[in-house]
Amino acid sequence: MSTFSGLSTALSSLIAQRQALDVSGQNIANANTAGYTRQRADLTSVQALSAPSMFSAQSGTGNGTRVSGITRMGDSFLDTRLRAATSTASFQSARADSLGRLQSTISEPSETSVSAQLQTFWAGWHDVANQPSDQAARQVLLGDAEALVTQISGGYRAVESQWSQMRTETQTLATEVNTTAKAVAQLNEHIRSIQVSGGTPNELVDQRSELITKLSGLVGASAREREDGTVDVMVGGNALVRGVKANEIAVTGSFTMSGAIDLTAPVGLTWAATGTALWLDSGTLASHLADLAPDGSLAAAIGSWNAVATSLATTVNAAHRAGNSLETPPVTGRDFFTFAPGSTPPALGLSVALKDHPEQVAAATPGKGGLDGSNADAIAGLVDAPGGPDRVWRDFVVDLGVRTHAADQRAAVMESARSTAENLQLSSASVDLDEESVNMLAFQRAYEGAARVLTTMDEMLDTLINRTGTVGR
Amino acid sequence: MINRVTHQTVQRSTLANLQVSLGKMSDLQSRMSSGKVITKPSDDPAGTAKAMQLRSDKRSADQFSRNAADGQAWLTTVDTALQASVTALRSARDLTVQGANSGALNPTAREGIAVAIDGVRDAMLQQANTTHLGRPVFAGTTDQGVAFSVTPPVAPATTPTYTWTGTAGASVERRVSRDSTIRVDSDGAAVFGQGGTSVFALLDTISSALRSGADVSGYLTDIDGHLTTMLGGLASVGTRTNQVTTAQSAIGSTVVDLRSELSSVEDIDMAQTIVELQMQEVAYKGALGATQRVLQPSLMDFLR
Repeated sequence: MSTFSGLSTALSSLIAQRQALDVSGQNIANANTAGYTRQRADLTSVQALSAPSMFSAQSGTGNGTRVSGITRMGDSFLDTRLRAATSTASFQSARADSLGRLQSTISEPSETSVSAQLQTFWAGWHDVANQPSDQAARQVLLGDAEALVTQISGGYRAVESQWSQMRTETQTLATEVNTTAKAVAQLNEHIRSIQVSGGTPNELVDQRSELITKLSGLVGASAREREDGTVDVMVGGNALVRGVKANEIAVTGSFTMSGAIDLTAPVGLTWAATGTALWLDSGTLASHLADLAPDGSLAAAIGSWNAVATSLATTVNAAHRAGNSLETPPVTGRDFFTFAPGSTPPALGLSVALKDHPEQVAAATPGKGGLDGSNADAIAGLVDAPGGPDRVWRDFVVDLGVRTHAADQRAAVMESARSTAENLQLSSASVDLDEESVNMLAFQRAYEGAARVLTTMDEMLDTLINRTGTVGR
Repeated sequence: MINRVTHQTVQRSTLANLQVSLGKMSDLQSRMSSGKVITKPSDDPAGTAKAMQLRSDKRSADQFSRNAADGQAWLTTVDTALQASVTALRSARDLTVQGANSGALNPTAREGIAVAIDGVRDAMLQQANTTHLGRPVFAGTTDQGVAFSVTPPVAPATTPTYTWTGTAGASVERRVSRDSTIRVDSDGAAVFGQGGTSVFALLDTISSALRSGADVSGYLTDIDGHLTTMLGGLASVGTRTNQVTTAQSAIGSTVVDLRSELSSVEDIDMAQTIVELQMQEVAYKGALGATQRVLQPSLMDFLR
């Protein structure tokens, strides 16, 4: 026990409290930094030298304190939970988003929708039935038919443009995944080297954790920590990042909807290096791929538009062929609608065959006189025909409505689960200003106390050095 | 597990709650301003299906109403023409009775009566060829412009031939509901007869008999026969006019029903929405007030 050891004990406290105050300062500085995890200076008491020997001069008092490390107060289990919730929530929200976008293209129920245009078309047939000799009524009917055809092809085009937009987004998302994975690999490398040299890479770990959470939102990635401080990021059972190496993913398949939906070149995801297919089950990218697939929601919408076009042409043509036109002599057996030759989709290839020939509209039933309108009346009655365009369209709209509604609800539920997980994670990781204030106060008081110990010792030594041996002076 | 509460978690949850509250406000607000509960299918898929069906039904009912109005016009035309024809035929009968009084008439007087009967025949022919919007109402589906075409006599015949241009069994129908149609023309062949048995041919025969000095009293029975047929046709037109009127009023009330049903599916309940909006506003203000109390204080304010 030396004379000055008490001084060094007080000094150790001064140093340690200042370091702890620095950590509090860092916490407060990052109170609003996204992804920052609060830190603590771990103070450890320094034990006295205790060499077990016979003449050991041991007083038993310790030698002060020291900062043994700076701990990152994160909880890796809560991080994992947040990532799992994020990947599901992103998937469902992307799903709901895409269905909502699809739904906005059909503008039902309204006065400008396809069903309203179909009603106008049937009403046109009634007017022709009432006035078979009136060219104006026939022209109006042909105009309504043209408008209907345009609306159907417009609807098809809208789905097609949504498809190519999503295809581009998919490409962008894949690039984002690759960049993020590369960043995670680099951070792994930095963190490993800092740890090897005995430093604390807490801020880099925060950054990495933030990036991994982003990856789970994109591709449903999960993380696996390794002993050397690096983290492996797994996607679909394979490593997207292993140690300091990132594996790239690539989007394959056609850039046009027609190519992707007829199964010649469906859109898919592969590992860029090996070309092996990669199957995702959660994350935004998984939702996009599901929508782009030949059995996805966009393909279903395309199918419905085609079905409406086909059903319209088939039902109207079958009835129209039975009628007589207004020409002399009357002609029977003509089609009202026609499809473009070749492999054009029905919704796009549909056109009005009698476009410039109103007199060819077959309003009359053969044998009932030239100005008969009963065939037109029969066609107008197709509004309720089973398998007719109105039914097909209504089924599609209701089905889409139900699926969008369900997707919205699922997305809301998953979002609340994600927000709960995030709240839990934040409650352990975020900075509490009150707590830091109290800590600051505690460190300040401890610093003051240590300074007082120093002063006291100084005074004692002063007494010893300057005032001893001056008796009677 | 008791959660640790920090300023950041409070801030987050407050923001999230405010967002939810404001979202509900904006939802109610958009409902109020648009007046519709369903603006897209996912708002209420079942309601959407119903609304689409109701809209379709309403459009059909509107069209049926147009059809009925058109039918009404046809039937009025037919009715007027038949009334005029009956009056004309009655005057022809009077003239025939006059002409049958053979002993008291000299050839000049008989010629005068014959000319008058010819005039009646022309008037009736004109009524029989009445058109509505360019179409003869007594031969609805013909494309020849007249219901009865007159072929001048070819020797040795002295009277012209009257041919009905319509098609037997064909009729002009107006659809007034999904399953029923009403005939709005009249079968000229039945009402006026055709060819040699037509009322025109009969009048020709009477006038030439008068000119030749023969007794015409025997034709009165034939005239009465035609008169009965015409009155029968008139009664049938009356019945059908009645049908159209009934159908029109039925369609009118159907449209009103459909409209109110559609409104109950699609439109908002104003009072309910206003109350909900106000409740939501109170909730939002409350949330804002709570935010002010929770987010402002910190230990910093109390440490000196």
